Formats: sequence, structure tokens, C-alpha cells
Amino acid sequence: MRLPILCGALALGASLLAWQGRYWGFRGEVDNDDAPFPPDGHEKTEFVFARLRYPSVRFAWGFRGNWATDYWKADRQFVQGVRRLTRIHVRSVEQVVDLDSDEIYNWPWIYAVEVGHWDLTDAQCKRLRDYLLRGGFLMVDDFHGTWEWETFMASLSRVFPDRPVVDIDSKDPIFHVLYDLDERFQVPGIQYWYTGRIYEKDGIEPRWRAVYDDKGRIMVAICHNMDLGDAWEWADHPRYPEHYASLAYRIGINYIIYAMTH
Amino acid sequence: MFELLFKYPPAAFSKGRLVWLSPWPLSWLVLALLVAGLLLAWRLRRPPAPHIQAGPRRRLILWALQAGFVALLLLMLWQPALSVATLKPQQNIIAVLLDDSRSMTAEEGGARRLEQARRLLNDGLLDALRARFQVRLYAFGHSASRIEKPDQATGAAQATHIGEALRTVLAEASAAPIGAVVLLSDGGDTRGGVPHAVVEELRARRLPVHAIGFGRERYQRDVELAAVEAPARVLPGSRVAALVRLRQTGYTRARVRLMVEEEGKTLAVREVTLSGPEQIETLLFQAGAAGPHRLRFAVQTLEGEENPRNNAVTRLVRVEDATPRVLYIEGEPRWEFKFIRRAIEEDKGLQLTTLLRTTENKLYRQGIADPKELEHGFPAEPEELFGFRGLIIGSVEANYFTPAQQQLIHDFADRRGGGVLFLGGRRALSETGWNRPPVADMLPVLLPQRTGTFHRDRVRVALTQAGRDSLITRLVEPPEANVERWRNLPALADYQEVGEPKPAALVLATLETPAGRTLPLLITQNYGRGRVAVFATGGSWRWQMLQPLSDMTHETFWQQLLRWLVSGASGEVSGSTPVPVLEDESQVLLRAEVRDKAFRPVADARVAARILGPAGLAETVELRPVADQPGVYEAEWSAPEAGGYSAEIHAWRGQQELGGDLILFRREDGVAEDFRMLQNRELLQALASATGGRYYRPQEARRLAEEITYSEAGLSVRELRDLWDMPVLFLMALGLRSAEWLLRRKWGAV
Repeated sequence: MRLPILCGALALGASLLAWQGRYWGFRGEVDNDDAPFPPDGHEKTEFVFARLRYPSVRFAWGFRGNWATDYWKADRQFVQGVRRLTRIHVRSVEQVVDLDSDEIYNWPWIYAVEVGHWDLTDAQCKRLRDYLLRGGFLMVDDFHGTWEWETFMASLSRVFPDRPVVDIDSKDPIFHVLYDLDERFQVPGIQYWYTGRIYEKDGIEPRWRAVYDDKGRIMVAICHNMDLGDAWEWADHPRYPEHYASLAYRIGINYIIYAMTH
Repeated sequence: MFELLFKYPPAAFSKGRLVWLSPWPLSWLVLALLVAGLLLAWRLRRPPAPHIQAGPRRRLILWALQAGFVALLLLMLWQPALSVATLKPQQNIIAVLLDDSRSMTAEEGGARRLEQARRLLNDGLLDALRARFQVRLYAFGHSASRIEKPDQATGAAQATHIGEALRTVLAEASAAPIGAVVLLSDGGDTRGGVPHAVVEELRARRLPVHAIGFGRERYQRDVELAAVEAPARVLPGSRVAALVRLRQTGYTRARVRLMVEEEGKTLAVREVTLSGPEQIETLLFQAGAAGPHRLRFAVQTLEGEENPRNNAVTRLVRVEDATPRVLYIEGEPRWEFKFIRRAIEEDKGLQLTTLLRTTENKLYRQGIADPKELEHGFPAEPEELFGFRGLIIGSVEANYFTPAQQQLIHDFADRRGGGVLFLGGRRALSETGWNRPPVADMLPVLLPQRTGTFHRDRVRVALTQAGRDSLITRLVEPPEANVERWRNLPALADYQEVGEPKPAALVLATLETPAGRTLPLLITQNYGRGRVAVFATGGSWRWQMLQPLSDMTHETFWQQLLRWLVSGASGEVSGSTPVPVLEDESQVLLRAEVRDKAFRPVADARVAARILGPAGLAETVELRPVADQPGVYEAEWSAPEAGGYSAEIHAWRGQQELGGDLILFRREDGVAEDFRMLQNRELLQALASATGGRYYRPQEARRLAEEITYSEAGLSVRELRDLWDMPVLFLMALGLRSAEWLLRRKWGAV
């Protein structure tokens, strides 16, 4: 009798932790170094790197929630590049936002990572659709292979049941708004160190895809089979190849400037 | 009575000049008055008799009465007289002008105005005039023509041109001794008044116009659509604001419908409450597709109106077949830039071209006409910049522009006639040196001479009274709901302090800072030939992101602001006519302003208008340069019949065509008199007064034959008429002596 109770308690605890992890995640994970909070972290600026916090599919990897992957080092390291390379007034610290309140409308650019694990509620899908049609911009990154694509699409197709996801033509302004990015290649994540592979799962071919609005403007920029977030995060590491980090920065900056001009 | 006391009629005094017939100089008179005054004062230094209690006040009164009497005698002794010019009997002509227009057929007091005038002439006035002068009788409407008898006037003329009638008399006065003009009219001049030149010529010839006014001066119950001001040309798809002036009597607090229609289709209706004798209302409507639009503005006819024919007018609005270009330079990527672009993309009537500094050395161009356009950045030559009609300066440093480019921005409004909008931002306005000439001169605000004016704090906004009336800020109807709409808009993301508005500026909207200060948000003003505005924020994008998708506030505001910005700017050749709808008129003035690509006036152009009209009319008219107005060309042309006309203006310099424009106008017959059914007494009085004549009511007109004699026009002679023997002087003398006697008696001296 004791064993089933113990097993039940363990199962319940594991479920609670999993539920908590699918949403809230933890601060201070291994990705981050011990850098102090930037002194200008509360500065009021024009642009803020807004990271989308979303619920993950059940039994997904880890407890912390996929939305927080690379959080916060990738974000802060990337915006340092945006500050240095453009005239955008950028805050040094990211902003975590979610789709559960209208606060999202104050952040016209959001970044979502590992969306191959996201699982949006109907209300969140509706708010995201509204947000995008009003002029918001979503960049998604770091998901790989067929299964994660299908998981991503399971939510996105509820956001836009009637809009196709299409490959972005190389002539599209998003690849030329600042840097000319005709020559693009797959940007691997940190797993490249120990596997030597630049792809993950069956995501061999990098795909730059998008959902467009009725005026031909990109609302959702999809970076599939690549890990720009890792490239930003590890750009300062000697073992991470510079050309991957460089392309990741240029893509990220182009996407931001596109979002601020279209 | 006046003549009994003063011997002569008032006209003699108003026309005459006082002279003294005594051989003694006037200085002696002054001396004599002084001596007499002193002697009388000496005599009264003590009380007149010991038993009389006469203090200084009583003695002063006695002195004044005695001195007045002596002064009167002395004045009479110096023989005052009136030097006055009078017309020689039977040698002068009196021109009698009888208004023959339709408004003179209005019936009042059981008789039509024209009948009243004819009766006045036939029942004595003409005979009285003929007893002293020759009389020429004219009937006039559009122009004046001679008639033999008053009965020949029928009230058939569709317009009243008093100026034209007077011109006819002036022309005849060159060859004939016309001594005065008698004008019988209701003053309802359908051109709105008598030209200044005509009045000046009458004054120069000293030819008085005596006016006899007919008709009542106000209705008991009437609503009149007195005027409509609508823009002559607008952009496709524009919302147009027409200012409608209503006059009413007897309908205060009544509700009436104002409407605008085109070919029977109602474009807009608005219900208003009549509140005073005159009020101005705004009527908003959509302009429609490119091309000419003949619009009928009307106010609902109310029960019991005395003149229902003055309730509608026609106006022409031309929707341009053009898409004005606006150049927007932004110094940093920011959300405001994106959302302005998106708002204007929805507007097919505007084209936005943008230059964005993405990095220190890189510009991102959008909306360019060709790959070469603006490839070197912001234009350095007027020819390149002046191709745009509007200019937006965003968050960009002043020193990013060369001094020559800053001058160009100034000249864009001042000389080109374009609109310039300055936005708030961390690199805008006072933050980076825009508070210095030449740009500071054109701004509608006195920018603070400090930095730290830009704040990223959320602020709420409100409309001012000027903003309530402005089309730029009209988001919803009616105006009261619009005020509420502005009050409930999402807070702006940021704001900038822009200082005090200049005297000629209009503050349309304000913001309230977190500290509770109210600051100007949207300020406009005209500058030179153009217009300038400041929108002291870079955070209106929240109006788009924080409101439902169906809400069009952000788009509407920006489209209206930019349409206002460009609507005053024309091309190099700009045609116009002051009165596009000729109401019972034929003369039209065609005017063209010709400038080169840098918008400098072209004084040596050849300008012609190709006029097309009803019944296949086609005619070419050459426009002539106007003296003292470089680059301005004009021509007068007469529209032969009612209908719509177009005049295509073209200008050339040598073989090079400088540009063209289109003027639309329309002649409408049988409408002008409907709006001038009341007597315009002000006009008649002003005309009579300016020319030395008098205004008479019909019952006073019998004096006219006598008073008209005093005129310097025609064949006149100057006469001297004694004044010393005026009965009034003797009465005064008697009065002074009697007053003294009565006072003395009262005080016990007699």
C-alpha cells in the first residue's frame, strides 16, 4: 500500500514540476555567466529585446521551460551588438513578455526560442494573431527537424489558420535592409563543439521562412534548423566559430531593422 | 425746422465752407473777444450791488452770460457766410439709376419695391428734379441702359451690378455735365459691393451719389445659407471640410439639417441647432474620385420661411489626379517611423518616401521612384527636394544637414509652399540644435535653448478648442465625441518639451506630463507660402498597437495630418480663379503663378489657357504678366452662357514647357438675386457717404430735389450765403439776455 502511495506522490510531484517548468522556467541556468546586472539595465529606450515566455508541450525536455533557452546571456550579448552596429536606442537588458495580457502590445518586436516545443492556448493564439496584425513582429529560432516543425505549426496554424508559411525569397528586403544576406548558411548551436555536426535531429537544411500579411510584410520570421540564439550567446567563446556568430548577428539585426521599417 | 433756424438745408452746411466777409482780420476778432471778456470780468470783480449775495460762482455765471452775448454780437459783426457750390439751373444733368433686378420685384407692404420706386419718381421727384435740371433715367441690372419712363423697368434683370451702372454714368460724365447721381435700389449688389476704383473715380470727379433705399432690412422668419467655403482642389479620397455660414431670424433653437449632395446623391448630412443670427458650421464629406465635382450645399427649408430660395448654393471641387509625395527623413530606427509608414501605405492619395539612418554611415531608402533617387542622401539642390510636397524631419541631428540643406528646409516651406512636419525624438528639436536659424524661424514654437527636453514617459493627450475645429484632428463625428475620443486615446510612449507657441501658431492638441504640466503636442502655422507643424512625440505608435485592430485612429490621424501638410503645395504652374462659381456673372479672372523647378518666379514666360465650355466651345486665351507681381499672369474672359468650363493652363519659357494646371469654373444664372432679397442699407449708405451724397428713405426723398443742388460736379457756381442773419443767432442773443435777467431777478438784483 505504501509503494503505490509513494509512487503516486512522486508522480504528482513530477507532474507539478513539469507543469511549472513548462511555463515559468528557472533563472540562473547554466547558460549564464556571473555578470552583474548592467547599470543601465533600467534605461528607457526605444527598442527592447522582448523574449516571449510561452507554455511548452508536456513532457518536454527539462524543467525550466523551453522559452528560457539561452536566457539571458544570448539576449544581452546580442543587444550589445545591436547597440554597437546600428543607431537603434536599445536597452541593455531584455524584457520577458507573455501572451496572457495586453502588456504584449507595448513590445512591437518579440523573440521566441525553441518554438518546436511551444503549446499556445487558444486565447494566446488569438492575442498573438491580433498582436501581429496590429503591427507586431515575431522572430522564432532554434528548433530543428520534422517533429519540432510539426509541433511549432500545431500552434502557429491556430494563430493563422488561413495564412501559409513560405520560404523567404533572397530578394526580400529582410535580407537587405542593412546587410546583404544573399549568402546564408546553417548556424549551429553549441552542440557543434562536442558532435562536430552543424545540424540537429533531421534538420539538415536551414530554412528561412515567414508568414506575411496582406500587404506583403513579414509578421513571423521563422529560423528553422539553425540556432542563432546559441550563436549570440557563445559569440564571445573562442571555440565557437566567428563566421557563424557573425551571420547570426547580421540576421538578427536585419530582422530588427526590418521590423522597425515595415 | 432746420431751415427755419439756419436759413439753409443741412446739405448746404455739409457741402459749404465757412468764410468771413468783414474787411477786418480774424485776429482782431480774437483780440476783441479777449478785451470784451476782460472788461466784463473787471466789471464783475465785486458783487453787482451791495445787497446782493453774489459769491464767485454766481458772478462767474453772470460773466459767462454777458461774455456770450458780446461774443455773439462780435461774431455777427465779422459777417460769417457760407461758401457753397451749387449746380447751375437747367445746365446740369442728374443721372437717375433705377434698380431693375429681380430682387426689386419682392412685395412688401402691398407693393413691389419697383412699384414703390416708380411711384416715387412719377409722383413728384422726377418733376421736382426736372424743374431745376435735365434728367437722364437709367434702368440697371448687369449693366445700365437709358429708359424714357420709370415704367419701362420690369425687374427682369438677374443680377445687380451697381458698380457697372456707375461706370456707365462716369463714362457719360466725361462728355456731359452730370451733376449728381440718384440711385434707387435695394442695394443687393450681386458682386458683393461697388469696386473701390469706381468710388475713387466718383470722388475724384466730386460726383455725389444720393441713394434711396427700398425694401426691408431683415426677415421675420428665414434661414439663409449665406456662404460656403470649400477647397477648390483636394487629393483623391480626401475628407473635405466645408465651412458653412448660416444666417437666421425667427428660428433660434430650431434644429435644421445641413447637407451636401452631388447629382442627387447625398454625401453628408449634419443636424445643427440654430443658436444666433449667424453661425459657422463644418460639414465633412468624402471628396470621391479624381475629376470635377459639382456639389450642392443646402440647409433644410423650415416651415414659414419667407425666402426659401436662399437655402442652397453650388460649389465646385476638383479632385486632383495626383499623388503628392512626402519625404520623411529619420535619424534612427524607431517604431514611430514604421507605424507612420504603415498608416500612409493605407492612403492611396499620398506617397511616402523615407530616408532612414540605420547606422552612422548607412541610409535605408523606401518608396523611392527609381534606384538613383536620393542615393546621396538628403537633397542638396532645390530641384531635387522641391519635387516633394511635404517633408517630415524625425529624430535626426540638425548638424546632420549642411547649412545649405537647412536653408533648403526653410525654403521648402517659405518659397516652394510645401509643408514641413517636425517630430519629437531624442535627437529632435532642442536636443540637437534645431533651435537656431534658419529652421527656428519657421517653427510654430519658440524651442527651449537647452537639452533634456525629450522624455520617455507615457502621457495622455487632449484636444484644444482649435483642435476641436480642425480637420487634422477629427477622428470621429460629432465634434463632442471627437473630444472624448482624444481624451480616451492610449497614452503616448514619449513626449518632448517644445516651448511656447508663436503668436500666429495654432495649438491643436496638448499633453499632460506625469508632473501635471500641460504642454503643446500638435502645433501648426502657416509660414511663407507653406505651412509648418510640430508633433512633439515619437510615440503615437501606441495608438495603433494598444487599440483594437478595427480601430483606425492612428491611420486616420496620420493621413489627415499629412494631407493637410501637402494640401497647400502646388506645382510649378498653378492656376486659380477667385470665384469658381459665377452667379449671374460672365466675367471670370484666370490667374496663373509660374515658377521654375527651384520655385523662383518666372517673369518671362508665355502663358495661355485653353478654355473648353458648353456647346463645344473651345478658345485659347493668353494670360498677361501682372505688374509688381513677378511670376503672376492673369486674363479676364467672359463666359458666354451658363454651364461648366475648364481652362487648361500651360506655361512656356522659349521652347521649354514649364508645366500646366487646370482651372474649373461654372456660370450659373438666375440664382444671385435669391440671396440678396433684403435691402443692403450699409452698402447704400457707405456709397453715398464716400461720394458726398446722402442716403434717403423713400419718405424722405422729397427733400432730394433741393439738397441735390449743392454739388461741385457738372456745371456749378460758387455762392456766398450770409449766415449773420440766421434766426438761430438772434434767438441765442435773446436767450442769453433773458437768462441773465431771470437770474438777477431770482437773486434779488432787479
